[in-house]
Amino acid sequence: MAKVVVITSGKGGVGKTTSCASIGTALAMQGFRTVLIDFDVGLRNLDLVMGCERRVVYDLINVLSGEAKLSQALIKDKRLDGLYMLPASQTRDKDALTLEGVEEIINELKEDFDYILCDSPAGIERGALLAMYFAEEAVIVTNPEVSSVRDSDRIIGLLDSKTRMAEQGQAVPSRLLITRYNPERVEQSEMMSVKDIEEILAIPLVGVVPESEAVLKASNQGIPVVHDQESDAGQAYSDMTARFLGEERDMRFAEIEKKGFFSRMFGGRR
Amino acid sequence: MKMFKKLFERDEVHSADVARERLKLMLSQDRLQRQQPDFLPRLQKELVDVIRRYTQSSQDDIQISCHALPQRSQIEVNVSWPRNT
Repeated sequence: MAKVVVITSGKGGVGKTTSCASIGTALAMQGFRTVLIDFDVGLRNLDLVMGCERRVVYDLINVLSGEAKLSQALIKDKRLDGLYMLPASQTRDKDALTLEGVEEIINELKEDFDYILCDSPAGIERGALLAMYFAEEAVIVTNPEVSSVRDSDRIIGLLDSKTRMAEQGQAVPSRLLITRYNPERVEQSEMMSVKDIEEILAIPLVGVVPESEAVLKASNQGIPVVHDQESDAGQAYSDMTARFLGEERDMRFAEIEKKGFFSRMFGGRR
Repeated sequence: MKMFKKLFERDEVHSADVARERLKLMLSQDRLQRQQPDFLPRLQKELVDVIRRYTQSSQDDIQISCHALPQRSQIEVNVSWPRNT
């Protein structure tokens, strides 16, 4: 049976879309049939990060308004079998986004996929609430920064009250993904630590992705960063996805890496 | 000079600690507020207006708090005013 997972954060620009693209890709690499839905109507970006922007014909709103079939709107990833995405509309207004419509799409996707990842827009408006409503699991993306942590706390509150699971008296299992982490600055006490954020938000940690040049490079090229297994961020997303699936792995990028002789001499890639 | 520097260093507050403390305080307020009904601020304002029509209470003399009991919600209103009126 398919599992619906929302990738959300409250605050914008913390790495929801980047994370959604990489987690989805990593799940597909593990052989799970995975579909990513971009809920950011009016500001779609997941297609760019996935590198399939030129193949968008129909979008979520087209399907919701009956102008296209779901199968026509799904875009198959060019690198991985079993990975698909449903783009958001760039122009149309979001009034077409209804609870019933979204439910119908999710139910149809459930028949064909193992994981349905909902990429939430920033904020706590309709798009964000719809992205989380059917979630059976949540990944909260947070930066080690006060406004991001505060907004994440707000989103956790909404997951506990405005989702179908909440209405049925259950809690949506939520896990914390910290991105743009810089252990050197944490060491200098210039940045909140993983432990600080975990303690404040009080949900289990699923991964730490370091601040990394590889992330921008990957989105420039439209290749999810998890494909770049040489990079720290790519490895961090692999680890995170493995943990998401229940595997135990060391939190590799939460501590300062002790550089060996060679990397000190020739510089490691960050 | 050395002593001066030492003194300065000891007083330096790390910004991550400041962030953590500010967040903890802010979130405890946020979380409290979230549990309260949406109409509470309006009710509060109207109650204060009505009470002050009759008493010489200042804003601080009127304390309104909302509690969640197992089955019900409860509002507690505490009013005081200067006695010689």
